[in-house]
Amino acid sequence: MSSRWGVPLLGAALLGAVPWIGDETMMQFGIYLLLVAALAQAWNILGGFTGYASFGNSTFYGLGVYGTAIAMAQFDLPFWVGLVLGAILAMLCALLIGLPILRLRGPYFAIATLGLNAALSALVANLDIAGRNIGLILPLTRHDVLFYEGLLALLLAATLAVAWISSSRFGMGLIAIREDEDAAAVMGVDTTLYKIAALVLSSLFSALAGGIYAYYVTFIDPASAFDPKLNVQMVIMAVFGGPGTVLGPVVGAFILYSIYQALASSISTAAALFYGVVIILAVIFMPKGLVDLGWGLRRMGPRYLLETVRQYRL
Amino acid sequence: MNAKLLEIEGLSAGYGAVPVLRGIALHVAAGEIVTLVGSNGAGKTTLLRAISRTLASRGRIRFDGRDLGALSPEAVFALGLVQVPEGRQLFARMSVEENLQMGAYLRRDAAGIARSFERVYRLFPVLFERRRQKAGSLSGGEQQMCAMGRALMAAPRLLVVDEMSLGLAPVVVDQLLGVLAEIRGEGVTILLVEQDVFAAFSVADRGYVLETGRIVREGKVSELAADPEVRRAYLGVAEAG
Repeated sequence: MSSRWGVPLLGAALLGAVPWIGDETMMQFGIYLLLVAALAQAWNILGGFTGYASFGNSTFYGLGVYGTAIAMAQFDLPFWVGLVLGAILAMLCALLIGLPILRLRGPYFAIATLGLNAALSALVANLDIAGRNIGLILPLTRHDVLFYEGLLALLLAATLAVAWISSSRFGMGLIAIREDEDAAAVMGVDTTLYKIAALVLSSLFSALAGGIYAYYVTFIDPASAFDPKLNVQMVIMAVFGGPGTVLGPVVGAFILYSIYQALASSISTAAALFYGVVIILAVIFMPKGLVDLGWGLRRMGPRYLLETVRQYRL
Repeated sequence: MNAKLLEIEGLSAGYGAVPVLRGIALHVAAGEIVTLVGSNGAGKTTLLRAISRTLASRGRIRFDGRDLGALSPEAVFALGLVQVPEGRQLFARMSVEENLQMGAYLRRDAAGIARSFERVYRLFPVLFERRRQKAGSLSGGEQQMCAMGRALMAAPRLLVVDEMSLGLAPVVVDQLLGVLAEIRGEGVTILLVEQDVFAAFSVADRGYVLETGRIVREGKVSELAADPEVRRAYLGVAEAG
């Protein structure tokens, strides 16, 4: 136990020390990195364990953003009230939307969740309380250390939740749903309840991340809050690292975001192109993610790469 | 031994407007092995779906005196009416051991689950040897064993086995039939649904013959096996002269 968690704990401690040892650029980099890592981990709860690829997580993120923004900009309420409001909005949305759309499987589920994003974006763009198309401006603060540590705490909480899931009956049920939903139902897994519980938990962490980030950036609008590209990032990072594993999505987010930033600062315009190439290579040589690659290389060396390519007929 | 564990009266069911089953009456007493035979399309699988409540039906289905009409499939499973589905429906990418673990998903008695593991590994030693292997990599016979083992992990009172022999070598079928007898010896009642009438009759006490949605014959398997009509239609034996 201690050796298994030693490295992650040391990593977390080092991350926690960044505000005291790094400069402002590093803080900005760190804040966005922790944001996408927390979002990738939240996505992992439903997407990684049940295999339901959600493109609605950016909607939950957006509701978290707007919950905080509306509470603080329109009602002068404290930050934490906004966080709670955003989380409640997102969980209600997950609950209401989960019942009809979790009946859909595979690509149909993904398409339905993609629609959710567009619908919510259009909705807030027409609400006075949400600042319509123009958006909202939150009170300005310069407490980057708090935002950084807040996002780090959220990432830790999401990771602990995933660690609990992966060793619980609940998680076993979710994995059974991913492997064969009909067989899982035959074995007495209440598939509807489990899928909705996973979606609601995923929405909670997504919304909290959105709430913290909204206060950090201070200006929000529908396009940036309900951004499908952000959701694509979550999926890519979680799948790159290893969906359905405890640390995979976090490692995936750290590596991919670092690569992207390194490329963006060195070759700026062609960065997106090279980023795309990295993702394509990753999908070809490690379709089951970095974590599986790690196990595979330890077990059978470079042969693992050939084996996976053969297994997935690429 | 005489208490009726499963009791079905006047059962009708179908898909949309098309009736498949009409007025089925059938019972299984505690401790029995009962077989339901019939050719393709007779309605065997439809009847099993009605029993497991994955298909709506009219008429009465009682399990251990309880009406199953209003229950969900999970609730029926939790009562101890457990199916080994046709085609096995294993979790192909999970190990044999994880598949067995899934069978005990609704149980919370760790000691009882450990005993069930022992029992399954005793009945199917090959599953113990291959417990770390992915279920999808097993041979057809081993997969059937894994499916039966998984059902046993649920501590069933009535085990419903659908098309156990499908696609298996005769020697494997014989082995599985032996295991069925052993399982019954341990107090589990069995309803065996089969196309392979020879195999089914070799292990069952009583049988029902289903034809186009109706029960056309029932009785002890010795009587059924002697029935000229059954012999002609299902055992492929032409009566001389």
